[in-house]
Amino acid sequence: MSEQPMFEHEVATLIVQTLKLKIDPATIQPDAALFGDGLGLDSIDALELSLAISQTYGYQLKSSDPDIKAIFSSLRALANAIVKNRTK
Amino acid sequence: MSLAWRQQQERGSPTAIRLMAWIAQSLGRPIARGVLHPICLYFLLASGSASHAIGQYRERLFGRPVTWRDLYRHYLAFAATILDRVYFLRGRFDPFDIQIHGLEVLDRELAKGRGCVLLGSHLGSFEVVRAVGLSRQHIEIRVLMDEQNAPLIRHLIQELNPAVAETVIQVGGAGTMLQVKECLDRGGVVGIMGDRVMQQDQSLACTFLGGQARFPTGAIRLARVVQAPVVLFFGLYRGGNRYEVYLESFSEGMELPSDQQAIDLQQGIQRYADRLEAFCRRAPDNWFNFYEFWNDSN
Repeated sequence: MSEQPMFEHEVATLIVQTLKLKIDPATIQPDAALFGDGLGLDSIDALELSLAISQTYGYQLKSSDPDIKAIFSSLRALANAIVKNRTK
Repeated sequence: MSLAWRQQQERGSPTAIRLMAWIAQSLGRPIARGVLHPICLYFLLASGSASHAIGQYRERLFGRPVTWRDLYRHYLAFAATILDRVYFLRGRFDPFDIQIHGLEVLDRELAKGRGCVLLGSHLGSFEVVRAVGLSRQHIEIRVLMDEQNAPLIRHLIQELNPAVAETVIQVGGAGTMLQVKECLDRGGVVGIMGDRVMQQDQSLACTFLGGQARFPTGAIRLARVVQAPVVLFFGLYRGGNRYEVYLESFSEGMELPSDQQAIDLQQGIQRYADRLEAFCRRAPDNWFNFYEFWNDSN
Protein backbone atom coordinates (compact mmCIF):
# COMPACT_ATOMS: atom_id res chain seq x y z
CA MET A 1 0.00 0.00 0.00
CA SER A 2 1.39 3.40 -0.93
CA GLU A 3 1.69 6.16 1.62
CA GLN A 4 -1.16 8.33 0.37
CA PRO A 5 -4.03 5.87 0.76
CA MET A 6 -2.75 5.13 4.26
CA PHE A 7 -2.99 8.78 5.14
CA GLU A 8 -6.40 9.00 3.56
CA HIS A 9 -7.45 6.16 5.82
CA GLU A 10 -6.09 8.06 8.81
CA VAL A 11 -8.14 11.15 7.87
CA ALA A 12 -11.20 8.97 7.23
CA THR A 13 -10.80 7.57 10.73
CA LEU A 14 -10.54 11.08 12.14
CA ILE A 15 -13.76 12.04 10.33
CA VAL A 16 -15.64 9.00 11.64
CA GLN A 17 -14.39 9.46 15.20
CA THR A 18 -14.90 13.21 15.35
CA LEU A 19 -18.41 13.11 13.97
CA LYS A 20 -19.32 9.83 15.69
CA LEU A 21 -20.46 8.33 12.39
CA LYS A 22 -21.63 4.75 12.51
CA ILE A 23 -19.66 3.60 9.47
CA ASP A 24 -16.37 1.89 8.76
CA PRO A 25 -13.77 4.54 7.75
CA ALA A 26 -12.60 2.23 4.96
CA THR A 27 -15.97 2.62 3.22
CA ILE A 28 -15.52 6.35 2.63
CA GLN A 29 -14.77 6.70 -1.08
CA PRO A 30 -11.75 8.99 -1.57
CA ASP A 31 -13.36 10.91 -4.43
CA ALA A 32 -16.96 10.99 -3.22
CA ALA A 33 -18.51 14.16 -1.84
CA LEU A 34 -18.22 14.49 1.91
CA PHE A 35 -20.98 17.04 2.29
CA GLY A 36 -24.51 17.36 1.03
CA ASP A 37 -25.49 14.31 -0.94
CA GLY A 38 -22.34 12.30 -0.29
CA LEU A 39 -21.78 11.39 3.35
CA GLY A 40 -24.58 13.78 4.23
CA LEU A 41 -22.45 15.98 6.45
CA ASP A 42 -23.48 19.58 7.04
CA SER A 43 -21.64 22.83 7.69
CA ILE A 44 -21.51 22.29 11.46
CA ASP A 45 -19.90 18.91 10.85
CA ALA A 46 -17.40 20.75 8.66
CA LEU A 47 -16.64 23.11 11.54
CA GLU A 48 -16.25 20.27 14.02
CA LEU A 49 -13.97 18.51 11.57
CA SER A 50 -11.82 21.59 11.01
CA LEU A 51 -11.37 21.97 14.78
CA ALA A 52 -10.23 18.34 14.98
CA ILE A 53 -7.84 18.85 12.04
CA SER A 54 -6.39 21.91 13.72
CA GLN A 55 -5.88 19.97 16.94
CA THR A 56 -4.42 16.85 15.33
CA TYR A 57 -2.32 18.32 12.52
CA GLY A 58 -1.87 21.96 13.52
CA TYR A 59 -3.51 23.06 10.28
CA GLN A 60 -5.99 25.84 10.90
CA LEU A 61 -8.55 26.19 8.13
CA LYS A 62 -9.80 29.71 7.51
CA SER A 63 -12.99 30.97 5.89
CA SER A 64 -10.87 33.40 3.86
CA ASP A 65 -9.08 30.51 2.13
CA PRO A 66 -10.21 30.73 -1.52
CA ASP A 67 -9.91 26.96 -1.88
CA ILE A 68 -12.09 26.18 1.13
CA LYS A 69 -14.83 24.62 -0.97
CA ALA A 70 -12.39 22.44 -2.88
CA ILE A 71 -10.65 21.34 0.31
CA PHE A 72 -13.87 19.99 1.78
CA SER A 73 -15.04 18.47 -1.48
CA SER A 74 -13.73 14.95 -0.86
CA LEU A 75 -11.64 12.82 1.46
CA ARG A 76 -8.76 12.92 -1.03
CA ALA A 77 -8.83 16.71 -1.34
CA LEU A 78 -8.95 17.10 2.42
CA ALA A 79 -6.10 14.66 2.99
CA ASN A 80 -4.01 16.44 0.36
CA ALA A 81 -4.63 19.82 1.95
CA ILE A 82 -3.60 18.47 5.34
CA VAL A 83 -0.39 16.96 3.93
CA LYS A 84 0.44 20.30 2.36
CA ASN A 85 -0.31 22.49 5.38
CA ARG A 86 0.24 20.37 8.46
CA THR A 87 2.56 21.70 11.14
CA LYS A 88 2.58 18.59 13.30
CA MET B 1 -40.28 18.14 6.58
CA SER B 2 -42.03 21.33 5.71
CA LEU B 3 -40.11 23.25 3.11
CA ALA B 4 -43.15 25.02 1.78
CA TRP B 5 -41.71 28.47 2.36
CA ARG B 6 -38.92 27.79 -0.08
CA GLN B 7 -41.37 27.03 -2.81
CA GLN B 8 -43.13 30.26 -2.17
CA GLN B 9 -41.58 32.93 -4.32
CA GLU B 10 -40.55 36.13 -2.68
CA ARG B 11 -43.29 38.53 -3.63
CA GLY B 12 -42.59 41.93 -5.12
CA SER B 13 -39.84 43.05 -7.40
CA PRO B 14 -36.56 44.91 -6.98
CA THR B 15 -38.27 47.99 -8.39
CA ALA B 16 -41.09 47.81 -5.85
CA ILE B 17 -38.62 47.36 -3.00
CA ARG B 18 -36.56 50.29 -4.25
CA LEU B 19 -39.70 52.40 -4.55
CA MET B 20 -40.75 51.50 -1.02
CA ALA B 21 -37.29 52.32 0.33
CA TRP B 22 -37.40 55.65 -1.49
CA ILE B 23 -40.85 56.53 -0.12
CA ALA B 24 -39.72 55.51 3.37
CA GLN B 25 -36.72 57.78 3.27
CA SER B 26 -37.97 60.73 1.21
CA LEU B 27 -41.56 61.09 2.28
CA GLY B 28 -41.18 59.86 5.83
CA ARG B 29 -42.61 57.08 7.93
CA PRO B 30 -46.23 58.39 8.32
CA ILE B 31 -46.75 58.57 4.55
CA ALA B 32 -44.94 55.29 3.95
CA ARG B 33 -47.18 53.63 6.52
CA GLY B 34 -50.19 54.91 4.59
CA VAL B 35 -48.88 53.13 1.50
CA LEU B 36 -48.81 49.86 3.46
CA HIS B 37 -52.60 49.63 3.44
CA PRO B 38 -53.09 49.04 -0.30
CA ILE B 39 -50.11 46.66 -0.21
CA CYS B 40 -51.71 44.65 2.58
CA LEU B 41 -55.01 44.62 0.80
CA TYR B 42 -53.23 43.20 -2.24
CA PHE B 43 -51.63 40.48 -0.09
CA LEU B 44 -54.96 39.71 1.53
CA LEU B 45 -56.59 39.15 -1.86
CA ALA B 46 -53.68 37.62 -3.76
CA SER B 47 -51.79 35.48 -1.30
CA GLY B 48 -53.93 32.44 -0.59
CA SER B 49 -51.21 30.19 0.77
CA ALA B 50 -49.87 32.82 3.18
CA SER B 51 -53.38 33.59 4.42
CA HIS B 52 -53.98 29.89 4.91
CA ALA B 53 -50.79 29.59 6.97
CA ILE B 54 -51.65 32.62 9.11
CA GLY B 55 -55.12 31.16 9.62
CA GLN B 56 -53.72 27.86 10.85
CA TYR B 57 -51.38 29.61 13.25
CA ARG B 58 -54.03 31.91 14.67
CA GLU B 59 -56.49 29.09 15.06
CA ARG B 60 -53.97 27.18 17.15
CA LEU B 61 -53.35 30.26 19.23
CA PHE B 62 -56.93 31.43 19.76
CA GLY B 63 -58.96 28.28 19.11
CA ARG B 64 -61.31 30.01 16.72
CA PRO B 65 -61.41 30.48 12.94
CA VAL B 66 -59.50 33.42 11.55
CA THR B 67 -61.37 36.47 10.24
CA TRP B 68 -60.50 38.82 7.36
CA ARG B 69 -59.85 41.46 9.97
CA ASP B 70 -57.33 39.20 11.76
CA LEU B 71 -55.53 38.50 8.49
CA TYR B 72 -55.38 42.17 7.62
CA ARG B 73 -53.92 43.06 11.02
CA HIS B 74 -51.39 40.30 10.59
CA TYR B 75 -50.26 41.48 7.15
CA LEU B 76 -50.11 45.05 8.40
CA ALA B 77 -47.79 44.09 11.26
CA PHE B 78 -45.58 42.21 8.78
CA ALA B 79 -45.50 45.11 6.31
CA ALA B 80 -44.73 47.57 9.11
CA THR B 81 -41.69 45.59 10.22
CA ILE B 82 -40.43 45.34 6.64
CA LEU B 83 -40.80 49.10 6.28
CA ASP B 84 -39.06 49.76 9.57
CA ARG B 85 -36.20 47.57 8.43
CA VAL B 86 -35.36 50.37 6.02
CA TYR B 87 -34.87 52.76 8.94
CA PHE B 88 -33.02 50.28 11.11
CA LEU B 89 -30.63 49.47 8.27
CA ARG B 90 -30.02 53.17 7.72
CA GLY B 91 -29.25 53.50 11.42
CA ARG B 92 -32.28 55.70 12.02
CA PHE B 93 -33.75 54.89 15.39
CA ASP B 94 -35.05 58.35 16.32
CA PRO B 95 -38.65 57.77 15.09
CA PHE B 96 -38.93 54.73 17.33
CA ASP B 97 -39.66 53.82 20.90
CA ILE B 98 -37.52 50.72 21.43
CA GLN B 99 -37.46 49.08 24.85
CA ILE B 100 -34.60 46.67 25.36
CA HIS B 101 -34.98 44.15 28.16
CA GLY B 102 -32.10 41.98 29.30
CA LEU B 103 -29.15 43.81 27.76
CA GLU B 104 -27.23 42.85 30.90
CA VAL B 105 -27.65 39.19 29.91
CA LEU B 106 -25.77 39.84 26.67
CA ASP B 107 -23.12 41.89 28.47
CA ARG B 108 -22.61 39.10 30.98
CA GLU B 109 -22.21 36.39 28.32
CA LEU B 110 -19.92 38.52 26.15
CA ALA B 111 -17.73 39.28 29.16
CA LYS B 112 -16.71 35.61 29.10
CA GLY B 113 -14.90 36.32 25.86
CA ARG B 114 -16.27 33.42 23.81
CA GLY B 115 -18.65 35.50 21.74
CA CYS B 116 -22.33 34.74 21.75
CA VAL B 117 -24.90 33.08 19.52
CA LEU B 118 -28.04 35.21 19.35
CA LEU B 119 -30.83 32.76 18.70
CA GLY B 120 -33.69 34.59 17.02
CA SER B 121 -36.80 33.76 15.05
CA HIS B 122 -39.22 35.04 12.43
CA LEU B 123 -41.44 36.35 15.21
CA GLY B 124 -41.35 40.12 14.90
CA SER B 125 -38.23 41.86 13.67
CA PHE B 126 -34.69 40.61 13.89
CA GLU B 127 -33.37 43.77 12.25
CA VAL B 128 -34.21 45.67 15.43
CA VAL B 129 -31.05 43.97 16.73
CA ARG B 130 -29.31 47.01 15.20
CA ALA B 131 -30.71 48.99 18.13
CA VAL B 132 -28.71 46.73 20.43
CA GLY B 133 -25.65 47.56 18.34
CA LEU B 134 -26.47 51.23 18.80
CA SER B 135 -26.17 51.05 22.56
CA ARG B 136 -23.21 48.65 22.40
CA GLN B 137 -21.24 49.98 19.48
CA HIS B 138 -18.11 47.98 20.16
CA ILE B 139 -19.94 44.70 19.55
CA GLU B 140 -19.40 43.01 16.19
CA ILE B 141 -22.80 41.73 15.06
CA ARG B 142 -23.12 39.36 12.12
CA VAL B 143 -26.26 37.61 10.93
CA LEU B 144 -26.52 34.26 9.21
CA MET B 145 -28.86 34.55 6.22
CA ASP B 146 -30.15 32.44 3.39
CA GLU B 147 -29.53 35.16 0.82
CA GLN B 148 -30.00 32.88 -2.14
CA ASN B 149 -33.62 32.38 -1.17
CA ALA B 150 -34.22 36.02 -0.33
CA PRO B 151 -32.53 37.97 -3.14
CA LEU B 152 -34.80 40.99 -2.63
CA ILE B 153 -33.82 41.37 0.99
CA ARG B 154 -30.20 40.99 -0.05
CA HIS B 155 -30.61 43.84 -2.57
CA LEU B 156 -32.34 45.95 0.04
CA ILE B 157 -29.55 45.51 2.58
CA GLN B 158 -26.89 46.08 -0.07
CA GLU B 159 -28.54 49.29 -1.19
CA LEU B 160 -29.37 50.71 2.22
CA ASN B 161 -26.24 49.82 4.09
CA PRO B 162 -23.31 48.17 2.29
CA ALA B 163 -21.42 47.98 5.60
CA VAL B 164 -24.17 45.82 7.09
CA ALA B 165 -24.32 43.77 3.88
CA GLU B 166 -20.64 42.95 4.43
CA THR B 167 -21.44 41.41 7.80
CA VAL B 168 -24.10 39.03 6.49
CA ILE B 169 -22.90 35.44 6.48
CA GLN B 170 -24.42 33.37 3.69
CA VAL B 171 -25.61 29.93 4.80
CA GLY B 172 -24.69 26.70 3.10
CA GLY B 173 -21.11 27.44 2.05
CA ALA B 174 -18.14 25.27 3.00
CA GLY B 175 -16.66 28.16 4.98
CA THR B 176 -19.94 29.37 6.51
CA MET B 177 -19.41 27.95 9.95
CA LEU B 178 -15.72 28.90 9.92
CA GLN B 179 -16.85 32.50 9.39
CA VAL B 180 -19.22 32.13 12.31
CA LYS B 181 -16.49 30.68 14.50
CA GLU B 182 -14.02 33.40 13.55
CA CYS B 183 -16.57 36.07 14.56
CA LEU B 184 -17.25 34.33 17.88
CA ASP B 185 -13.50 33.98 18.49
CA ARG B 186 -13.22 37.76 18.15
CA GLY B 187 -15.85 38.04 20.88
CA GLY B 188 -18.61 38.94 18.42
CA VAL B 189 -22.28 38.12 18.19
CA VAL B 190 -23.76 35.89 15.50
CA GLY B 191 -27.51 36.04 14.94
CA ILE B 192 -29.16 32.82 13.78
CA MET B 193 -32.86 32.17 13.22
CA GLY B 194 -33.94 29.02 14.98
CA ASP B 195 -37.38 28.45 13.53
CA ARG B 196 -37.03 27.72 9.81
CA VAL B 197 -35.74 24.42 8.50
CA MET B 198 -33.65 24.91 5.38
CA GLN B 199 -33.01 22.29 2.77
CA GLN B 200 -30.05 20.47 4.28
CA ASP B 201 -30.65 21.34 7.92
CA GLN B 202 -30.83 18.65 10.51
CA SER B 203 -34.02 19.09 12.46
CA LEU B 204 -36.03 17.67 15.35
CA ALA B 205 -39.75 17.49 15.96
CA CYS B 206 -41.06 19.48 18.93
CA THR B 207 -44.38 20.30 20.49
CA PHE B 208 -45.30 23.80 19.44
CA LEU B 209 -48.68 25.47 19.97
CA GLY B 210 -50.31 22.10 20.53
CA GLY B 211 -48.93 20.40 17.42
CA GLN B 212 -45.75 18.83 16.09
CA ALA B 213 -43.35 21.04 14.17
CA ARG B 214 -39.73 20.56 13.15
CA PHE B 215 -37.03 22.98 14.24
CA PRO B 216 -33.45 23.15 12.95
CA THR B 217 -30.81 21.99 15.40
CA GLY B 218 -27.94 23.91 13.81
CA ALA B 219 -27.63 26.87 16.18
CA ILE B 220 -27.50 24.74 19.31
CA ARG B 221 -25.12 22.19 17.78
CA LEU B 222 -22.90 25.02 16.59
CA ALA B 223 -22.83 26.66 20.02
CA ARG B 224 -21.85 23.33 21.52
CA VAL B 225 -19.04 22.69 19.03
CA VAL B 226 -17.47 26.08 19.67
CA GLN B 227 -18.57 26.19 23.32
CA ALA B 228 -20.22 29.56 22.94
CA PRO B 229 -23.09 30.76 25.09
CA VAL B 230 -26.54 31.18 23.51
CA VAL B 231 -28.82 34.13 24.23
CA LEU B 232 -32.41 34.17 22.98
CA PHE B 233 -33.50 37.22 21.02
CA PHE B 234 -37.07 38.36 20.45
CA GLY B 235 -37.76 41.68 18.72
CA LEU B 236 -41.49 42.21 19.06
CA TYR B 237 -43.36 44.84 17.10
CA ARG B 238 -45.97 46.39 19.37
CA GLY B 239 -47.79 48.63 16.91
CA GLY B 240 -47.22 52.29 16.09
CA ASN B 241 -43.54 53.09 16.55
CA ARG B 242 -43.02 50.70 19.45
CA TYR B 243 -40.67 47.75 19.60
CA GLU B 244 -39.75 45.54 22.54
CA VAL B 245 -36.54 43.57 22.51
CA TYR B 246 -36.10 40.67 24.90
CA LEU B 247 -32.74 39.05 25.53
CA GLU B 248 -32.81 35.89 27.61
CA SER B 249 -30.05 33.61 28.76
CA PHE B 250 -30.43 30.20 27.07
CA SER B 251 -27.28 28.10 27.49
CA GLU B 252 -23.81 28.59 28.89
CA GLY B 253 -21.69 26.92 26.24
CA MET B 254 -20.44 24.07 28.38
CA GLU B 255 -19.03 20.86 27.01
CA LEU B 256 -21.26 17.82 27.58
CA PRO B 257 -20.44 14.13 27.87
CA SER B 258 -21.26 12.54 24.53
CA ASP B 259 -23.95 10.24 25.95
CA GLN B 260 -25.94 13.27 27.11
CA GLN B 261 -25.69 15.24 23.89
CA ALA B 262 -28.68 13.81 22.03
CA ILE B 263 -31.05 14.22 25.00
CA ASP B 264 -29.73 17.69 25.67
CA LEU B 265 -30.27 18.68 22.03
CA GLN B 266 -33.90 17.54 22.05
CA GLN B 267 -34.50 19.33 25.36
CA GLY B 268 -32.76 22.46 24.10
CA ILE B 269 -34.83 22.65 20.92
CA GLN B 270 -38.02 22.07 22.89
CA ARG B 271 -37.03 24.81 25.33
CA TYR B 272 -36.55 27.17 22.38
CA ALA B 273 -39.95 26.18 20.96
CA ASP B 274 -41.54 26.81 24.37
CA ARG B 275 -40.08 30.30 24.62
CA LEU B 276 -41.14 31.01 21.03
CA GLU B 277 -44.66 29.92 21.92
CA ALA B 278 -44.70 32.15 24.99
CA PHE B 279 -43.68 35.14 22.88
CA CYS B 280 -46.25 34.24 20.18
CA ARG B 281 -48.89 34.57 22.88
CA ARG B 282 -47.47 37.92 23.89
CA ALA B 283 -47.43 39.29 20.33
CA PRO B 284 -49.75 37.13 18.19
CA ASP B 285 -49.55 39.34 15.07
CA ASN B 286 -45.76 38.99 14.93
CA TRP B 287 -45.64 35.47 13.47
CA PHE B 288 -44.05 35.83 10.04
CA ASN B 289 -43.62 32.23 8.95
CA PHE B 290 -46.16 32.27 6.17
CA TYR B 291 -45.96 28.62 5.15
CA GLU B 292 -47.18 25.25 6.39
CA PHE B 293 -45.34 25.17 9.70
CA TRP B 294 -46.78 22.11 11.41
CA ASN B 295 -46.27 18.56 10.26
CA ASP B 296 -49.49 17.20 11.71
CA SER B 297 -51.82 19.86 10.33
CA ASN B 298 -54.66 18.65 8.17
